[in-house]
Amino acid sequence: MYGLVALGYHITWATSRTMNFSQGHAVMLGAVVAYAVFVALGWPFPLALFVTLVALACFGALVERVAVRPFFLRASPAWLLATIAVGIIAENVAQLAFGKDARAFPSPLMRKPIMVGSAGFYPQELLVPLVGLILMGLVQLFYHRTAYGKQLKAVAWNPEAAGLMGINIPRAVMASYALSALLAGVAGVLLAPLLNVAPQMGTIIGLKAFAVAIIGGLTSAPGIIVAGLGYGLVESFTAGYVSTRAREIVGFGLVILVLIVRPWGLLGEKPSRRV
Amino acid sequence: MSERLSWITLVAAAAIVPLLTSNTYYLYVVISAGLLTIVTAGLNVLVGFTGQTSLGHAGLYAFGAYTAALCATRAGLSEWAAVATAIVVTSVVGAAVAAAALRVSGPYLAMVTIAFGLIVEGVLIEWGSVTGGPGGIFNIPKPSLRVHYWTVMLAAALALWLTANLRRSAWGRACLAVKSSEVAAESLGLSAYYVRIAAFTVSAAFTGAAGALFTFLNGYISPDSFTLQTSILFLLALLFGGLGRIAGPVAGSVALTILPELLTKLLDYRLILYGSLLLLSIYWLPEGVVGALSRGRKARVAPRPTTAPRPPAAPRPPAAPHPALSPEGRGVLLRARGVSLSFGGIVALADVALTVEHRSIHAVIGPNGAGKTSLLNVLSGFYAPDAGAIALNGRSIAGLTPYAIARRGIARTFQTAQVFGGLSVLDNVAVGVAGPRLGTVWAALAGTSACRARESAIRSRAQALLQAMGLGEVADDAAEALAAGLRRKLEIARALATLPVLLMLDEPAAGLSPAEIAALDLQLTALREQGGPAVILVEHHMDLVMAVSDRITVLDYGRTIADGAPEEVRRDPAVIEAYLGAAT
Repeated sequence: MYGLVALGYHITWATSRTMNFSQGHAVMLGAVVAYAVFVALGWPFPLALFVTLVALACFGALVERVAVRPFFLRASPAWLLATIAVGIIAENVAQLAFGKDARAFPSPLMRKPIMVGSAGFYPQELLVPLVGLILMGLVQLFYHRTAYGKQLKAVAWNPEAAGLMGINIPRAVMASYALSALLAGVAGVLLAPLLNVAPQMGTIIGLKAFAVAIIGGLTSAPGIIVAGLGYGLVESFTAGYVSTRAREIVGFGLVILVLIVRPWGLLGEKPSRRV
Repeated sequence: MSERLSWITLVAAAAIVPLLTSNTYYLYVVISAGLLTIVTAGLNVLVGFTGQTSLGHAGLYAFGAYTAALCATRAGLSEWAAVATAIVVTSVVGAAVAAAALRVSGPYLAMVTIAFGLIVEGVLIEWGSVTGGPGGIFNIPKPSLRVHYWTVMLAAALALWLTANLRRSAWGRACLAVKSSEVAAESLGLSAYYVRIAAFTVSAAFTGAAGALFTFLNGYISPDSFTLQTSILFLLALLFGGLGRIAGPVAGSVALTILPELLTKLLDYRLILYGSLLLLSIYWLPEGVVGALSRGRKARVAPRPTTAPRPPAAPRPPAAPHPALSPEGRGVLLRARGVSLSFGGIVALADVALTVEHRSIHAVIGPNGAGKTSLLNVLSGFYAPDAGAIALNGRSIAGLTPYAIARRGIARTFQTAQVFGGLSVLDNVAVGVAGPRLGTVWAALAGTSACRARESAIRSRAQALLQAMGLGEVADDAAEALAAGLRRKLEIARALATLPVLLMLDEPAAGLSPAEIAALDLQLTALREQGGPAVILVEHHMDLVMAVSDRITVLDYGRTIADGAPEEVRRDPAVIEAYLGAAT
């Protein structure tokens, strides 16, 4: 699951060397929009899912247009802070529309736990990593097999040359933001039944996903997938054996450790220095 | 002049508030603004001067606050002792965090600092026996609000004064140089890592002081005050006020303390407000409120006359190098053997040899992509060679960091001139003059008299160098506003300021007019006549190369194809073939 959100960081980083620091808020929006359409309005689930994904793609495009494009070529703090700004605005708007309280999101896969020995888990908990892996596979196919995916990769490799080849760079970057927010939206819908829906849920999810992206290596999709699974395991172990709070302390401690030993991530490429 | 007026107004306003009102609420608001000023003044050193973003300063703020609280409640220390202890503890923690976190920069650094902040917050909640857990620490003995008002105001003024001192010192220039061009700063002997750690530590010390004073404002503290939101607020106040400006922290802090108080009814919209303000200041106020105001004033009062084209300055010889570094006699200065370098599968340098004599001008030429710049980057430490030995004055320098090599006397310029933006022309050269000899950052903050004396020595030497290079008239201009030719001159002046034994010039004539090239020719020969540094000249301009060089090495596809005196090289068949194609 973290892997899915983290992949969003990878996608935008790969095309534009920028990231959507409101990625966690995109997850939150996914959950909130799905709740509004599916639970509150009572639309059928496939339609609700479709509406959610369209809304999230639009959010991603909006973030790119408002917070990234103007600063694409400027110093680093600009886009970083601008995307954070959009994120906290989104959180506040969601809070006004939705209220501060968490709400349960019903799912047929949450009714009956499957018991394995004394430990039980819900089918939904299986669904999350399953859908996650399928989507990651699709993203990889998109990048390696389709013309448009290859264009995005070209932009990442050398924007100048890609531009000369007639690729519309702003549109490519926007597409990568839309795609990345869309993945976050899927994660939001999948997580909603597990976590309850609340406007404040975004920040911490976004940070953990970023931690995963860094551990796995921002430049490496497989690294992120592996790191996502590993991070999830480490979290549940610490939560089980130490305490829930310690879970975050251990998780972020791990990031700092990775950054010190291998700043480019476990499977990322070591960046070469340009002079 | 009017800037001084604004400062006086500010001090007067701060002094009048407690006389006008006995309402503790107003005092409380002004104290909060003062605390935020202290934090943002420190953050300004890190973000504004050095260009690194931290989103974890709430964690350092917490360290200051909890240290002070524990000192006051458990150890029974006085307020002053508690604040002092808090500053020391936070500085040490800050230095440790920086040493780990600053191995990365940009978005990675933002993430590490966020992670640090969250870990601190988590520990505050979990470690109940010491921190009081989610409830925090109560019953801290506190001074009266009025006394505390004066303490905080004085501390805020002190914080601004200290950062102003720092900005004017060699440290301030080093920070800005690292922010503007890490590569160029390292080529002058500065370790970017070290400079950033120092900046982070200073900002931690300020934040710790503010945290401790915060403790004595309320008499109780809890983890709620030290969340990620707090870190964002710190950064927002700085950006809104004016990044890199001394007065920026005041403006931003006052605005961001008072605004939410005025809009208490809109509490539910607070995040929207913060987010919009953040976007707004990034969009339209890249230099903050203070920057926008002073720009407006400048435009009104003194429209700067457009500089009339000057006659090209007569080339005067640069100042002679420092005797201590000036090599004795002749002989081999630099000897490189078997240097190889490849990027992935592409071979940039294959078994290249280069021998440079003391006080000679040694040209390295070759077609595009021959590996000339790669060779310079290896010699100056920016690339580590895959194989080969490089010795300067008989001591190996292969594999050393760029700043270590620079400290041993190799200075260089870059293919695309890298002047330090945000610094004046004079300050650019002053960075080179000071080099790694910055003194302690604490002395720079305090602006000690020794520090000031050294400062005037540095400036006069920089001024002399600029005069010698014909840049005297533009000494106070912004370096990034210089025309291409002057930029290259400035880069050479800056490199010479480090008193090198070897100066490496990467295409110094590119983009220069014929008159400027002639002047460069004279300058290079004058340098040799005066016993200046040896020069490695990478250049495409054959007239210049043939006129000034003592020896020429020709590279093609990363290999040495010829090496000898200009006349020999000119006649060498391999060279002719490389440049003109096979004559078969």
